[in-house]
Amino acid sequence: MSLPTVTAAWPRPMQPPAYNAVTPRTTLQPAHPLATAPSDKGAVNSKPKKVEWPPAVRDYVRRAFDPANAIEGISSTDMQAKLKETISFFAERGAQETNDWPNHPLPQQILQNEQRLAAFHLANSASPFNSNGHANILSFSPAKKRKSQDGEELATQQAQASIPPWRKTNLESRMTFAEGHSEKRQKKSNAAGDAFSKFDQADLDKRRQRFNLGNNGTKTTPPWASPRREEDEMTNAPVVGTNQSLEKSYFRLTAPPKPETVRPLPVLEKTLAMLRQKWKTEKNYNYICNQFKSLRQDLTVQHIKTAFTVKVYEIHARISLEKGDLGEYNQCQTQLKALYAQGLEGKPAEFKAYRILYIVYTCNKSDMNDMLAELTLADKQHPWIKHALDVRSALALGNYHKFFKLYLVALNMGSYLMDMFIERERLNALANISRGYANVTLRFLTDELGFENDDSCREFLESHGAQTIIEQKADESNRMQYRVKIREAAALFESLRAAAFRKVDIKGQI
Amino acid sequence: MQAALVPFQEAYATGLAQPVADFLSPVPPPHDPGRLYDFFRASNDDRITGDVKNAFKYNKRTRMSQKETDAWVDIISGYWRAVKQIIRADEAANQGRVGSELYLAEYDAWKDVTSSFIKHISGGALPAWAIFTLYFTANHLRRIAIRADEQLAKGKPSTSTNSFSDDIVPQAARSEKLEEAARVFNRVFALCLGDRNPDMSESRKWGVYCIANLQFKTYFKLKAISLSKNVVKSIQAQSDLPPFELYPRAHRVTYKYYTGVLAFLQEDYAKAEKDLQEAWDLCYARSLKNKSLILTYLIPCRLITQHAIPSAALLAETPTLASLIGPLVSCIKKGDLTGFDKALADGEPEFVKRRIFLTLERSRDIALRNLLRKVYLAAGYDDLKEGQIEKDRIRKSRIPLIHFATALRMGIAGAGSGLTVEDDEVECLLANQIYKGLMKGYISREHAMVVLNKKGAFPGTGV
Repeated sequence: MSLPTVTAAWPRPMQPPAYNAVTPRTTLQPAHPLATAPSDKGAVNSKPKKVEWPPAVRDYVRRAFDPANAIEGISSTDMQAKLKETISFFAERGAQETNDWPNHPLPQQILQNEQRLAAFHLANSASPFNSNGHANILSFSPAKKRKSQDGEELATQQAQASIPPWRKTNLESRMTFAEGHSEKRQKKSNAAGDAFSKFDQADLDKRRQRFNLGNNGTKTTPPWASPRREEDEMTNAPVVGTNQSLEKSYFRLTAPPKPETVRPLPVLEKTLAMLRQKWKTEKNYNYICNQFKSLRQDLTVQHIKTAFTVKVYEIHARISLEKGDLGEYNQCQTQLKALYAQGLEGKPAEFKAYRILYIVYTCNKSDMNDMLAELTLADKQHPWIKHALDVRSALALGNYHKFFKLYLVALNMGSYLMDMFIERERLNALANISRGYANVTLRFLTDELGFENDDSCREFLESHGAQTIIEQKADESNRMQYRVKIREAAALFESLRAAAFRKVDIKGQI
Repeated sequence: MQAALVPFQEAYATGLAQPVADFLSPVPPPHDPGRLYDFFRASNDDRITGDVKNAFKYNKRTRMSQKETDAWVDIISGYWRAVKQIIRADEAANQGRVGSELYLAEYDAWKDVTSSFIKHISGGALPAWAIFTLYFTANHLRRIAIRADEQLAKGKPSTSTNSFSDDIVPQAARSEKLEEAARVFNRVFALCLGDRNPDMSESRKWGVYCIANLQFKTYFKLKAISLSKNVVKSIQAQSDLPPFELYPRAHRVTYKYYTGVLAFLQEDYAKAEKDLQEAWDLCYARSLKNKSLILTYLIPCRLITQHAIPSAALLAETPTLASLIGPLVSCIKKGDLTGFDKALADGEPEFVKRRIFLTLERSRDIALRNLLRKVYLAAGYDDLKEGQIEKDRIRKSRIPLIHFATALRMGIAGAGSGLTVEDDEVECLLANQIYKGLMKGYISREHAMVVLNKKGAFPGTGV
């Protein structure tokens, strides 16, 4: 989808953050009065409607009617209607003087862009590839977004951003990538045009060119999702950093970074050592994650791809695994896969094993197939990878007994990943057992489901609403034991199992 | 030029897509290997458009409007330029010079032909059947793109290690041109689907399925299979397509095959079976390759949905498939788990390539069921009670767990692989069978027994 450049960079009335989840606007319909009203704080200087148009507006109108600017296929009546709409849009907000009319797209251009969009929607034919030919296969739907893409870190930097990008939702940060200062947003709802004027004509032309490449409405990736190309153009030459400080907060880049904000490799090496130490002592994940992201960014802008880069990603991946931050982990994993593919030193076996477990978690069969296709014979014999493969096959064959044994002997950070789906598999096993047995001892469940002790097993059952089926009984030798009338909860476990498999929360895919 | 265009005029006069497409082919027909060269020699770079125009002007055989004439002139001159590039690339290849740029030029020229086709069809300049000529042209574009990509890959064998510009490490752009071609196909597809012509006999909607098939083929090749879903969705969303049965059989078979495979990959085996079965039923009986392709997915599908294994006769029809799946099938039949595991491991690379590994793996359940059933049968009958006659004898329904455990261990012990099956694991596998409905009964841990249903202990197997 080639969302028209011009409209993307459009000074649309910014709504207060609470409204930012709405779908991106692509046209210039006047904003819903309710949406803007709360933020207005009287800033619409309640100017009386002017009859006298400013010269810039008049020039704009003149250009709109200029035959040289006419676009084939757009009738002049349509154009005039749009023109009226455009001008009244700004007039209603008293912004016709602040708007950057000379650079404002002409109504026929807006219409043309809308037509392209419409053509796209009509065909509903998403095109596979974003601008640089990466087939972003798994997330071609714009709604399914990664939390934040490394690629964008480069494309967009905002030194004065007051809210760090990772706190914002992804879509939001993309939509507002031109201006990070969210505290100004409310003002902007009135003084639109402020952001727009930031782009000079050259930039706009560049953008226009870029997004019109596949001039036929076949591109799926909206501009806010494919900034990679932008960054290709901007940072062809590596930056050489001069910054000497160890710590640096992460900001998404919107422009080529300045050397004085980037740390050179020797500093980064010290930074990594410091971060490892800090993680051990303080365990402050938010801080560490932020620091690692800026570390990765500095490596990237300086085009450093060495064993050190691998190490940074590996450590970040392990830390995010430990905290269960799968989104961040998955980013690192994707990078690592590519870095290993370039033959850089690291621990490919360890991360291949994690990747298998991750795919087990996401239940993505076609990813799993690709993964299996990728493994070499040597890989399959490596104990870490073999463990992960065994986990996979145990689950595929419904062999929960074997699965929970493998869980108890998980290698490296594997158990953190397995924790992500252990509950789900326990419910699955319980659904199985509840059909196969009439009643069992609690101890049997404890052993079969890999619980540490009877109490935690019991707690698990109770927390899932199965307290009524546990009873105390004396066995033959008159010792008291807990028995579970498992059959009675068959329906319960079945529904729990189904629910658990339904909601696989995929936070970003490879 | 006049003479060179005679075949075109003849083809055009037929009013059929195929003859015209044959004229506009990037490969010379077998009976006339010099055709492309002759055509190329009929003009030159400066004169080509004028030549074609003149040829059309003085041709009295076919009547067409000025608009249509202009369109064909544009297409045929584009074709001539493409032929020029094809000949240059061929000559270079014959002289042993390899250069990807020649193939790229060939691709670009052919893409121009395709684009002008699209342009003129959407402008309404060409007759309705031209959409199928465009299909052939687009299909050639696919082949040429694949070849250009191969040449590109040869040109720079190593992943460019200096392309450090991105945090997302750029993957080697292996199929750059095919991806580009995919976007062209997308346009053609939109062109077909979006035709508003109320006269169905003239509608481009008849091209929808064959272009969709072309897209599927491309996406599968690009390993971007999930994109095919968009195509299917667009077709489903289009309410005014002609009835499916009226489309040419070839379009239907291929389309059903691909939708079947897509459903298969999404683990929607019921739909996959339905679509693949339709494709199988429609498939031309002597088209062995297509039949084997359909069976590749239909057999695993049936294993899951109906626990049915293919007959020997069916497998014998497609030798490659027989050698691939045959061992697995016979192990399932015998209930030979060790053999099954081995056959699965042996075939893994091929299975993974065809994306059937994970599905075939699940048929181990049936092999296991067959083994357990044998244990059950071996246990024999309950003693006759008073008044009972031989005919009414009932099979023993209480089977000690240890019997099943022994059966499971038999295969493994022989292999000496150091693998063991624990008692709890045996129970687990049994519970699994019961859960999946392959076996009816329950496990009694206190008595170390499996209590099976008196009737239909193994549903669907006659006991």
